[in-house]
Amino acid sequence: MNRTAILKTGILGMLVTLLCSCGVTSRIEPYKQTNSVIGADDQLVVLARKHHTNYEAESDIVECISDGLANGSEALNVHSSVEFEDKLYPWFEPSIAPLDTEDLSELLEKPGVAGRIEETRVRFVVWLDGSTERVASGGGISCAAGVGGAGCMGLAWWEDDARYDVTVWDIQELASAGTIYADYKGRSVMPAIVIPIPLIARPRAAACKGLTQQLREFLTSPFGYGSSPSLIGATE
Amino acid sequence: MESMRNTPRSCSKLVALLIIPCCYLVGCASSVVVQSDFPTPLVEPLPVRVGLIFGEELRDFQHHEELPQQANWTIDLGDISITMLQPLFESMFVETQNVEAIPVDMPENNTLDGILKASLNRFEFDVPVNSDNKFAEVWMQYQLDLYEPGGELITEWQVSGYGKAEIGRTKRTESVSRAAINAMREVGATISTRFAQQPQIGFWLKERQNTDFINE
Repeated sequence: MNRTAILKTGILGMLVTLLCSCGVTSRIEPYKQTNSVIGADDQLVVLARKHHTNYEAESDIVECISDGLANGSEALNVHSSVEFEDKLYPWFEPSIAPLDTEDLSELLEKPGVAGRIEETRVRFVVWLDGSTERVASGGGISCAAGVGGAGCMGLAWWEDDARYDVTVWDIQELASAGTIYADYKGRSVMPAIVIPIPLIARPRAAACKGLTQQLREFLTSPFGYGSSPSLIGATE
Repeated sequence: MESMRNTPRSCSKLVALLIIPCCYLVGCASSVVVQSDFPTPLVEPLPVRVGLIFGEELRDFQHHEELPQQANWTIDLGDISITMLQPLFESMFVETQNVEAIPVDMPENNTLDGILKASLNRFEFDVPVNSDNKFAEVWMQYQLDLYEPGGELITEWQVSGYGKAEIGRTKRTESVSRAAINAMREVGATISTRFAQQPQIGFWLKERQNTDFINE
């Protein structure tokens, strides 16, 4: 084998390794504790938990999950999060919003609240708690330019962790219907051989897709869905 | 050889060198105009008739600040506080009317139970410099002074609101605006749900109910 062939094999091997190291690893733990399913006339609303000081679920994942549930062949009736918070103002503002179903029961006893919720036809409140954070990064790329041209050399990588806790409340039963825990880790790499080639993993988008799929099953399957904590793991 | 320092050409270079950083700094000045509508709170009105006075600063409020490692910020709230507070108070009390001053010069057939004066005491904000912190934050403190119609102070209540908004693909100025709106919504939520729980206010409400009962 001549030197050129060895070099080509080396570069190919390096690219394969880089491609393999870039991707999203997922872990989902659904737990449904009731047999409640969403009716044809029922609506659901997805709300972000915003009372934490250092993080909150991003508005784009709330929109992504809401849109995902509202579209497709098995579309559900999804109420707009902003409209719901405005109609029920001030009761779903971060400092006042109910934190558990006992708080929800107390809230429904307040004048006008139960009636207003009934008007919205919202039966399930889906609370989204969590965020996507950069947990690690490293490497480096150097670029230089001269009379003969310009180029970069090096390798940069970073890892994002999209971790979300979903809690589903059944307003009709005044109880928690269950939870879904999702953890999506994505490693992105950017090798630079003359030009930088970004190989970007998007764990938040993957978490949105995974949670939408799980929530759809959660809300439409009465039995045999996540009856006990279990793990669904995958690498994309 | 001619000295470079004394030529008109070197002067023009010097002027250019001064102008470029100035332009850069002017370009970094951030201006935010906060505008929004606020929902009417879903609360049961308290059985009192209240006169409303809004502090002068609420009609045209501007906050100027230079943040460390950043440029000058100007946040223009205009009269948005009144946009938030007026309908809030209208839904909180059975009857409200705007009054000019305390004590109120009342006609005999138009009696008020109290006068509520709202003012904005403090406005603070922060915009992160590095990418680790994802939120613009705003903290506001309003003061509500409740008076007898005759001018006697019943109580002072300071109400704070904190709001944050993520800095994602949007501009930093938009995030500051959203954080300010969130802070104001929090203030509105606190006022509408905890007003009657303040000890002095609770006592005043009971007193008014007893007076109404005796008059009936």
